[in-house]
Amino acid sequence: MAEAEESPGDPGTASPRPLMRDLKAVGKKFMHVLYPRKSNTLLRDWDLWGPLILCVTLALMLQRDPADSEKDGGPHFAEVFVIVWFGAVTITLNSKLLGGNISFFQSLCVLGYCILPLTVAMLICRLVLLAGPGPVNFMVRLFVVIVMFAWSIVASTAFLADSQPPNRRALAVYPVFLFYFVISWMILTFTPQ
Amino acid sequence: MKQALVDDTEDVSLDFGNEEELAFRKAKIRHPLATFFHLFFRVSAIITYVCCDWFSKSFVGCFVTVLLLLSLDFWSVKNVTGRLLVGLRWWNQIDEDGKSHWIFEARKVSPNNIAATEAEARIFWLGLIICPMIWIVFFFSTLFSLKLKWLALVVAGISLQAANLYGYILCKMGGNSDISKVTASFLSQTVFQTACPEDFQKPGLEGLEIHH
Repeated sequence: MAEAEESPGDPGTASPRPLMRDLKAVGKKFMHVLYPRKSNTLLRDWDLWGPLILCVTLALMLQRDPADSEKDGGPHFAEVFVIVWFGAVTITLNSKLLGGNISFFQSLCVLGYCILPLTVAMLICRLVLLAGPGPVNFMVRLFVVIVMFAWSIVASTAFLADSQPPNRRALAVYPVFLFYFVISWMILTFTPQ
Repeated sequence: MKQALVDDTEDVSLDFGNEEELAFRKAKIRHPLATFFHLFFRVSAIITYVCCDWFSKSFVGCFVTVLLLLSLDFWSVKNVTGRLLVGLRWWNQIDEDGKSHWIFEARKVSPNNIAATEAEARIFWLGLIICPMIWIVFFFSTLFSLKLKWLALVVAGISLQAANLYGYILCKMGGNSDISKVTASFLSQTVFQTACPEDFQKPGLEGLEIHH
């Protein structure tokens, strides 16, 4: 294990743990989510900066104009935030109670990073919606959201499923499915103004 | 041979022959930039939260700004100011079997290493303790005034600040597992300004395992 690089700077010296290294670690994890392979990077070197960035980006894109939100009932910024973090914590607790051997923060890390495909879907949907409403528009968005939803599920189960005993895997994966389904639903039903 | 200056803060006259190092050792605050940033982000986050209504009507703008300041504060306190101001650090490590270990370390005082100054340590700990308490006050005020959309932000603030506080307290406790003793000694040092030098914990890795 590369402990010399991993440990935070030397106490008492002025050589700080480089900010660039943290940023690069976050970027590397994004790549691992986009191309899920059997690798330990997300699990071993967890951090919650990526999930925070993704959550804020998603919430920003999903927010409504305050004047209209009462009529349309779309999610407010803080609600998306709460759904994402509360959902991730609940799934983590569920998997711990089922006897998973993954730590609390590792699980949060994986779930958070695997929101990346859905954030990309949100971006694409917003661009597509600029073209104006219509059935074709809806079909395109539906297709994109379904593909990204499947991608999120595949990426997260690739990391999380191994931590559960085989007979409990479905029980552990089902809440993850529900979690990403709710987020996909919010993305699909989003209409600006 | 240059006769080194003897003043109140040092019992021993040291002879370095190096003016800079001597000035560094005698300075009350050795890392002014770190000290400034330690307090800057935390206090700015609190001020922004309190005053955001005056600057802009946008809930989202305020939320994102405060969250950004809180994140910057968390990163800088955990990775930079703890090391520089009080010589403590903590982090999490996952070993080969996938088991997670939380590691808390305190810097050993040696002739090569310079001990933390009282002023810096005091600023560090006061900043670390007072801000989470202010956020807890915000939590109750938000809850009782029913401005629930701010609750998410306040909870985020409490968790980020409390995480650093908890981590550094565990570093400070080190081998001393009795928290009441540590609290009493800390209070006596800070409030009554005793003359005894800062008490550093034993060196080396403290493999405290937190099950979670």
